[in-house]
Amino acid sequence: MPNLDNIQKVLIIGGGPTEIGHETELDSATVQIITSFKKHGVRTLVIDNNPFSVALEEIQPTNMYVQAVTTANVRHIIEKDQPDAILPTLGGLLGIRIAQELVENGDLANFNVRLLGMPTTTLQQINNPADLNATLKEIHEPVIEAQVVGTLDEARGLVEKIGFPLIVKPVAPRLDTNRTVCDNVDDMFNALTQGFQQSRFDQCTLERSVIGYKEIEMVAVRDVADTEVLVAGLENVDTIGIHSGDSILVTPPQTLNDREYQDLRDATFRIATELGIVGVLHLHFALNPANQHFYVTKIAPYFSRGVALAARTTGYPIALVNGALLLGQKLVDIKLPSQYVKQTVIMEPTIDHVSVRIPIWPFQEVPDADQHLNTVMKAVGSTVGVGRSVEEAMLKAVRSSQFSPRDVLPSVSNLTDGEMIRQLIHPLANRILVLIEALRRGYAPEELSELTKIDNYYFVKLRHLLTIEKEIQDNPLDVATLQRARYYGFGDGMIARIWQTDTATIRHLSAQAKITPTYKMIEPTAGEFPENLSGYYSTFEYENESQPLGDRTALVLGRGGNQLGPNSAAEYFTTEMLKQLKRAGYHTILMNTNPNAVGVAPEFTEKQYVDPIQLGDVLNVIQVEHPDIVIVPGNRHYLTRELGKLPINLHVLPPDQETGEPAPEMATIGVSLFVHKQQKIAVGVMDMIAPGINKSLAQVTAFRMPAELPKAKRVNLVEQAKEAVSARQVTGMIQVLFAPKSDDSQQLVVVGVRPTRLTEMAFLSKVTGVNWVRMLTRQHIGTLDEGELAKISIDLNSTRVALMNAAFPFRQLHVLNRPGTTDQEVGATIAFGSSEALTLTNLSDTSELDQIINRTI
Amino acid sequence: MAKRYLILEDGSAYAGEGFGAGATTSGEVISNLNLLGYQETITDQIYHNQIIIFAQPAIGNVGINHDSYESILPTAKGMVVRDVTNISTNRLSRLSLDEFLQQHNIPGISGIDTRHLIRKLRQEDGPMKGSIVDVADAHAFDQLNATVLTNRQVDQVATPKPYPNPDTGKNVVVIDFGLKHGILRQLSERRCNVTVLPWTASAQDVLNLDPDGVLLSTGPGSPLDLGEGVLDMIREVQAEIPLFAIGLGHELFALANGAELTMLPVEYHGSSHPIRRIITNDIIYATQGQGYAVIAKSIDRDRLITTYVDLINGTVQGLRHRDFPAFSVQFFADGAPGPHESRDLFDEFMEAMTARREG
Amino acid sequence: MAKVVVDAMAMQRALTRITYEIIERNKGVDDLVILGIKTRGVYLARRIASRLQQLENVTVPVGDLDVTPYRDDIEHDAQSEPEVTATNMDFSVAGKKVILVDDVLYTGRTIRAAMSAVMDLGRPKSINLAVLVDRGHRELPIRADFVGKNIPSSQRERIKVSVSEIDDRDAVEIQQA
Repeated sequence: MPNLDNIQKVLIIGGGPTEIGHETELDSATVQIITSFKKHGVRTLVIDNNPFSVALEEIQPTNMYVQAVTTANVRHIIEKDQPDAILPTLGGLLGIRIAQELVENGDLANFNVRLLGMPTTTLQQINNPADLNATLKEIHEPVIEAQVVGTLDEARGLVEKIGFPLIVKPVAPRLDTNRTVCDNVDDMFNALTQGFQQSRFDQCTLERSVIGYKEIEMVAVRDVADTEVLVAGLENVDTIGIHSGDSILVTPPQTLNDREYQDLRDATFRIATELGIVGVLHLHFALNPANQHFYVTKIAPYFSRGVALAARTTGYPIALVNGALLLGQKLVDIKLPSQYVKQTVIMEPTIDHVSVRIPIWPFQEVPDADQHLNTVMKAVGSTVGVGRSVEEAMLKAVRSSQFSPRDVLPSVSNLTDGEMIRQLIHPLANRILVLIEALRRGYAPEELSELTKIDNYYFVKLRHLLTIEKEIQDNPLDVATLQRARYYGFGDGMIARIWQTDTATIRHLSAQAKITPTYKMIEPTAGEFPENLSGYYSTFEYENESQPLGDRTALVLGRGGNQLGPNSAAEYFTTEMLKQLKRAGYHTILMNTNPNAVGVAPEFTEKQYVDPIQLGDVLNVIQVEHPDIVIVPGNRHYLTRELGKLPINLHVLPPDQETGEPAPEMATIGVSLFVHKQQKIAVGVMDMIAPGINKSLAQVTAFRMPAELPKAKRVNLVEQAKEAVSARQVTGMIQVLFAPKSDDSQQLVVVGVRPTRLTEMAFLSKVTGVNWVRMLTRQHIGTLDEGELAKISIDLNSTRVALMNAAFPFRQLHVLNRPGTTDQEVGATIAFGSSEALTLTNLSDTSELDQIINRTI
Repeated sequence: MAKRYLILEDGSAYAGEGFGAGATTSGEVISNLNLLGYQETITDQIYHNQIIIFAQPAIGNVGINHDSYESILPTAKGMVVRDVTNISTNRLSRLSLDEFLQQHNIPGISGIDTRHLIRKLRQEDGPMKGSIVDVADAHAFDQLNATVLTNRQVDQVATPKPYPNPDTGKNVVVIDFGLKHGILRQLSERRCNVTVLPWTASAQDVLNLDPDGVLLSTGPGSPLDLGEGVLDMIREVQAEIPLFAIGLGHELFALANGAELTMLPVEYHGSSHPIRRIITNDIIYATQGQGYAVIAKSIDRDRLITTYVDLINGTVQGLRHRDFPAFSVQFFADGAPGPHESRDLFDEFMEAMTARREG
Repeated sequence: MAKVVVDAMAMQRALTRITYEIIERNKGVDDLVILGIKTRGVYLARRIASRLQQLENVTVPVGDLDVTPYRDDIEHDAQSEPEVTATNMDFSVAGKKVILVDDVLYTGRTIRAAMSAVMDLGRPKSINLAVLVDRGHRELPIRADFVGKNIPSSQRERIKVSVSEIDDRDAVEIQQA
């Protein structure tokens, strides 16, 4: 295995755009790994084409390859820059697949490039279920026997042996997931036909179904000396049959006994050893609750949502540790920053809180998608709730996942009994609400457990919440009841609604009765050692551990769980803003519930509160920290309004996208200006491209800069834009929209002025090399120097052209692929090149756009 | 549920809700940091006379299972938890934790800021007494302060009479100081024909059974209270047959071979510490539960070799005799609850017995 | 058909136990030297030495002996006797307690050759033999002092020892000839 001395340059294969299956957690881990590599004197190269990548901000431009993440491009970089090693584990399945191809075609061997994270043999097994199963059988790990088939006939012949329900899975799929459960031959033929297309080898596997088994995940780290630490176990509340990304997840596991848990831990270590993993390993198991037998169902030796959650919920710095492990350090030798107790790396985390993660689905934005939860992942984000009881953690997660401005849970009481039963058996996105509703209607936990296969325990816990809700209803304005409600995770908004009063009354009552939150540190020793970590969550107990950070503090509210729309861009914005605040001397505090957010990594802030971003919880944090500035994201109107009533220094960042004039119907050119006092800096003139037939503004999801216009025309538009801005009282990052005067006219006229959208702001930053997020932040906190601003000169006529194109989840949601709208975006890709290389012949041709963006450099 | 209190020797009182038995009890307050395994913990005899604070916040989730007993008659003095669930229908469960505690007259108290207590206890220097009471008044504190905890824990929990656990393999004598069932399960898995003897057994009693090996069990309390007789027994037996000692047994093995013990300022019960196996220089995890530790400097290197060490607090976790196949570990090698990798030691014991026979 | 009779864990334990037994028998490690018999005995010898080093913080000299052309575990011409063709050690065995280490003890002829080679090099205080596997079928009055595992075997079977240093894993297997 590698040692520290002979690895000086590592190429990280980036994860590409955010999509269903991975959000910004890969970016977050990448930033931390780069930091760790830097500390060890290793130069890091990164290939990625995600314009919202924070990692790309962390490295020198010469180490950055903003290119489509493809095998050909990676190979080209290897040839040109000769890295000592490549790291595929930060690029999700894509990274693994590319690395595998580089092994298979001999490139890694030819260029003498090492693979970090696992031996090449393991890499090959990860994508080949038959090989992997053979290995697992050799070490006596139970696996579900998968039979590889290449034709429908072959499959037909195996049906009798395997029996229905069975599962069809493409071999070496081009995408994550896509396991299809089939109940009959017709289903199977359909699934196979689709699966053969998705497989790189035109093959599928057939295997027995373990639907209804518990799905348990384990996250571990291993070093070259075979020392292994189990970081966390994660329990899916929904059983096998619903993709783990679509299931409510609880950590630590609550319904396993110690022996089951330890058996899975043993299996995890045996597999890590056998596969020679160095770094992180994330495993999935199917556990039969009837007889405690289990099967290994997924082996993921790379960063994932599960790994991010394990890190977030234990406080164990997986990414930092992993950076050192990859370079050949042993766990016992790794040195952590001073806030960690010395031996934290080598202590197996034990935690004294419960975390619950609830998925967020995109069905509001993509209503034609099949909304049933099954083996294909559909969620785009998640929120996490942390508490000292399952009730508290669960309720916090639900409150955060429903995006109710007033912190009130929606009701599904209008369902008929028949519909409700149907949804219990075939769950939809409102899963948790339906489970609660069924209990409300008097179904017993045991019955519901029968119907849903969810462990009875969780119904007992949910029913307990309903009992407390009833107590609240029966005892209006009673202090003891209020204490109890808060103790179990009820939000001020929820209590206010039940008591038909306002949040202010609830807070007043609480203050009088001294029902104040106590914040507990998220740390991996369960109180055994005086760790000094930065993650906290609230509960209502005896001891508060969170002390105010002192003067010059900024409290930044995150946006919560990822949704479709400009979320990855907003995440980029928030993280860059946090960095700027820190640079300006602020103690930074982040409140967020998205476990996959970049900004929640402890590197970016001095303190993180994992609590619902709801009025009551925010006010509680303000009461502890007394921040000098509170920054609320622009999409939280109610919160902004309510906080605005208080004597606090409130800023809205990222800016609200909805303010300004009514939006024009369409625009073809956007001119962005940074407006500060009397200065108006022209940032860029770009083509606003609406791929497809419909050209409305909401369809503008691709951008090209500089716009394909004559130079003089660009100058002229900038002048017009400045005038338009002067006429309005606006500051910050402003976009002036232009459109042809009429259908048959070439003349462009101003059709609207709006705050520059977050996605475009990230694009402009990447293209101009000026971090406009930081500029905007400095404008808000009053540290922007006019002289410095005046010196910024942007070449509006650059011959280097940049193109950004939004990514949509249509393919993954199995709906008709089509040009999407801005609120359906899941991520984006960016490309740079000469104007010839990036010329679009037909603006309506989405596949041409794709080809250009993903071209081989 | 009734409001009850946990009161501590230092005058502090914590209000919570009672569960389990309504009894008022006093004991030494200790904390357990294991992630899971409340049933194994509460039934382990090493907790005789102790009130256990659980770091794991949600307790009772899987009820009581037939295969998670470490003893049939638990003798702990109480459970202090953040949250308890009464559930008894979960798969193998036949009994809820609440019912179980009622049957065995053990009180529990929930709704306690257990994290605070654990953080507080870690700063203590020496044991702290506590009580679970209905009223936290001066009288309750007087009672607590007047409570003298017994030092005859082993007598109270260990078997007074020999009994067999027959099988067809090696003949193993287990000396019971407060035996946890995990040890018997490990021996059963290896087909050992076990005879459990009371801790007062003499070397003659042991050797009369012509065993292939002898195992000194875990147990509660201080090894210093057990007298010289048991040490003589160990010295005589270890010279004759392979010997394996765990927990309290390890502490006695150390004493018998000239080492000294120290009382830890705070008892440690958990499974997160890395333990270095010195001979192979690798790391394992195991459940630990100790109030005493062997003083490293006191080890006579001509008699004993240190074989395991805790990398967090530096305590000696394993010893081996230089002249005989006799070895011991401080941690619970049976892994119930907790990590399993130390179960390998039972194989070592088996192989030592085999080598002795064949050699 | 190959059957694993000693897995990696069991091999580790066997070497650990042999190490402790060496300490027990020799009352410590003073004057000990370890000689591994090629090929796999050498790696086993090094592992035992590394264990002694870990436990006692003393470096025990390790050397190796190459015994050819004869190998115990394959058919051999009854006329040819094994002999030591090369030794690799940078220390003297005179007055030392020598531990010979081999993977499999079979007829005993290899050991006899090894012993005479050691005697030729100097007069050791004692020679002890440690083997990972004793498979029986001795043709000479030779007996191991430290045995990892006794595996009674048929002469038709082959005992295959793998060590992770040169093979892909640690294991002892029985193969039908």
